[in-house]
Amino acid sequence: MKSVAESPAEFDERLRWLLNQCAASDSDALQFLYTLVSPILFASIIRILRRPALAEEALQDVFVSIWQKAGKFTASRGRPMAWMISIARYRAIDIARRERLGPTSVAELPEDQAVHGEPDSEGGPAAWRPTPNLMARCLALLSPQQAHCLELAYIDGNSHEDIARLTGTPLGTVKSWIRRALLNLRQCLASSHDAE
Amino acid sequence: MMPNNGEVIDRLAAEYVLGTLRGSPRRRFERWRETIPVVDQRCRFWEERLLELAADLKPMRPPTHVWLTIERRLNFPARRSLVQRVRRFPLLASLVLLACATALLYWRSIPIIRPTSEATISARSGERLWELEVFGKADRLGLHAAKRPTRQAKSDYELWALPTGAAPVSLGILPAEGELMRALTVIQKQALTHSSQLAVTIEPLGGSPTGQPTGAILYVAPLRSAF
Repeated sequence: MKSVAESPAEFDERLRWLLNQCAASDSDALQFLYTLVSPILFASIIRILRRPALAEEALQDVFVSIWQKAGKFTASRGRPMAWMISIARYRAIDIARRERLGPTSVAELPEDQAVHGEPDSEGGPAAWRPTPNLMARCLALLSPQQAHCLELAYIDGNSHEDIARLTGTPLGTVKSWIRRALLNLRQCLASSHDAE
Repeated sequence: MMPNNGEVIDRLAAEYVLGTLRGSPRRRFERWRETIPVVDQRCRFWEERLLELAADLKPMRPPTHVWLTIERRLNFPARRSLVQRVRRFPLLASLVLLACATALLYWRSIPIIRPTSEATISARSGERLWELEVFGKADRLGLHAAKRPTRQAKSDYELWALPTGAAPVSLGILPAEGELMRALTVIQKQALTHSSQLAVTIEPLGGSPTGQPTGAILYVAPLRSAF
């Protein structure tokens, strides 16, 4: 059965309102927010950490941070999902570093080591996803190697060294691909007046 | 020392957001971000743009104990579950169980319409305010006002279904007293079918003027199976 649809703009507005309520110490608002976004944040974290226990620890830390920093977000007026996913990814990267986790690529993990969380049968809130935009077009202009390196870093939380090991590519080449990819994105966005 | 070259700051911000800036340079950059607005501005720029890379993530529902731990860490008011209450009063629970078993033997012989799911909305003090029962395939909603909170002038309490991954859907104004049975619309049925929680907000008299919650969330309650 199809869920009730909500546009990305409406979803963002809902998240802003909930963060505003969190900033006013409304604990029910955090629970509401958790219901809405925890499946996405958990998916992001578990791709980096792979171990369910570590991912659960990270998710707890993330929601404690969201509660504590909600007032700061309200003042900054950015996209709520970008802000929350960033908190989640940075926390996961910190824990991965603390635990000295090796390179990760979900496609190469054995099933029992991959993810043990329960896939969201509803497919999660589709409205959080960025609408097809300029950035998607700029990403499509990257070379396959550049795009693959960005995904291995952003989605799976790999360092330059990890990516070099995973792809069998010299470290210097990986660094160069990533640096060039970011520069190309920057130029593509700037040429379309989206560089702020 | 922080570079004063805008392009270098932008490159570092992009690598920081991507996650490839590691170790002590990452720690140092985080400190700059906390204190230097232009660094924070460039980080937010890249955080919003690189979000596109996460578009194909497949949502995963975390185990339920994660939220309970978050509540504990933040010292939120405890909402005791039925299981916890039973553990605290085992003798009373046994007597209640015996009474329920006896009643069940009696009730099983009577053809009655039973709810498929139910919820209890309680104040933080534990006092029950409303009891809700969903009948059939979310066709009808039974509402019983146990004790309505003090009514604020020109306001109503509105009930919301919280479907996973979608906007809240209004289930109407909660009654001030007594019981009522309400037929549900197709949208309400869909929303209830995909909800594990209900919420109550305070709204202008007659309900939210926008169709979405506009007032504070006062209560959240789990929707549980009645079987």
